[in-house]
Amino acid sequence: MTPLGREIRALILKASRASGHGHIPTSFSIVEMLCAVYETMKHDPKNPQWDERDIFILSKGHGALGLYAVLAHYGYLPVEELNTFGAFQSRLGCHPDRFKVPGVELSTGSLGHGIAVAVGMALGFRLQKSPRRVYTLIGDGESNEGSVWEAVAVATHLKLTNLTVLLDANRSQVRSLPIPNPAERFAAFGCDTIEVDGHDLEALKRALTQPATNTRAVIAHTIKGYGCPTLVQNVFEWHRKSPKPDEFEKLMEELNAA
Amino acid sequence: MRRQFKDTTLDLAAKDEKVVVILGDISHFLFNEFQQKFPERFYNMGICENALISIAAGLSAQGFHPFVHTITPFLTERSLEQIKLDLCYNRLGANIVTTGASFDYAWDGATHHCYTDLAILRLMPGMEVTQPGNRKELDALIRSQYNNGKPTYFRLSDHGHNLDLPVQFGRGVVVRDNGANVTVMTAGPILSNVMEACADLPVNVVYFHTLKPIDHELIARYRHTKILVVHDAFGLHEAIHEVPDLRTVYHGLPDEFCVWYGTVHDIRKQIGLDPAGIREAIRKRIHD
Repeated sequence: MTPLGREIRALILKASRASGHGHIPTSFSIVEMLCAVYETMKHDPKNPQWDERDIFILSKGHGALGLYAVLAHYGYLPVEELNTFGAFQSRLGCHPDRFKVPGVELSTGSLGHGIAVAVGMALGFRLQKSPRRVYTLIGDGESNEGSVWEAVAVATHLKLTNLTVLLDANRSQVRSLPIPNPAERFAAFGCDTIEVDGHDLEALKRALTQPATNTRAVIAHTIKGYGCPTLVQNVFEWHRKSPKPDEFEKLMEELNAA
Repeated sequence: MRRQFKDTTLDLAAKDEKVVVILGDISHFLFNEFQQKFPERFYNMGICENALISIAAGLSAQGFHPFVHTITPFLTERSLEQIKLDLCYNRLGANIVTTGASFDYAWDGATHHCYTDLAILRLMPGMEVTQPGNRKELDALIRSQYNNGKPTYFRLSDHGHNLDLPVQFGRGVVVRDNGANVTVMTAGPILSNVMEACADLPVNVVYFHTLKPIDHELIARYRHTKILVVHDAFGLHEAIHEVPDLRTVYHGLPDEFCVWYGTVHDIRKQIGLDPAGIREAIRKRIHD
């Protein structure tokens, strides 16, 4: 694990410990993807409304804690504000609100929405003849939603090469409706598809910066709870759990050893 | 009314490069001229109504004024969550323009009818809801609202009324005031049947093309009268009751699917929304 990956995960653990809330395993699975996006796209934390910025939409809104930690790391939020996660008057809810959090471009939560709004934004940039790009991160559970596939079908039909879809292929849907071969599925819908190790930051950055012949789908194979064996082995127990003091110490030890 | 929709958007698109039309594979032949003149701003995007609304939200986020258009139930009832979250919750504007109204697709059966669009959309925070009664009203309402950054609903019908009434968004119209103690309140194209029904009856007639915001002040002026709400949809009666202390009766849709075919006139007759049925309801309200 890179120092950056460890740092972001530590922020997530501390925020969950302090706030009593958490979606830790799903946030851990997307850390490298989020970092790769914010390392490669055009953005300015000092001017979140910069009119030349690229757009990132967290379509799987329940990964918000991971997004907040990354936004804090890049300077959109004070790091200490992460501890307010989920509090009544906090800006940082379990799902992100674009009117409250600098850097959040769309309020998401219900699955299958963000990716389709991202298609509209990418089409808008094309109409404006703008070089701005749109990135959206979806879950494999989210990909049970039919609206995901409506959006992908339209995007590839319009050949929106300025849109990149990152799939968090953490196999969370093995219990219900899995996608057996997500790369094949996205390619069948016309995407320019790349498969990567979703915890390999450099591989992700390469996938995000390579020219695409159509809407780019980055199939990122990830592990829910990556970085802490306790989370990986007990992923369902930890789905919405906040660590107690002794659990927190153990998770931090595991993370530092990763 | 659909032709007017095309004419108005064609005219607006020539003046405003932010106008974009998205069709759900309906009315595409009608929009041939639009497509030829503004190919980059015309999309027959397919039969994917959820995506159409979300994509419109994305376009709106980048400063465009999208018009999304297809058959009423598919764009409103089917895509309610996209309207609620992507447009209303995210405060992104778009023009949702539907065709078919309640029963224009009568012979297609109940899958193509729409009873609840006006009622459910007026409950969405920040939404504007209109039911233009004819081409003039549609043209005026689109021009006044299309670029205000809010989600606005326009419910079109192929059977408009032929009255020439003043049109101002959010304002109702007194069509007739006899000083009577019964007031018929109605909205949209069914006004033609209402006027035929009450031609020689002692009632006032108040008409709305905008259901949200509803004209509270106008409704309150008739609070002292017995009110009969005549409407071939749900939503108007509920909107009128935003004004407290009214004595209303609703004459409109039954609590069941209208499982007949034929024409819009056949169905209206079956459920008492033809002139004779409305006349009977008015007479009853006068005497109750």
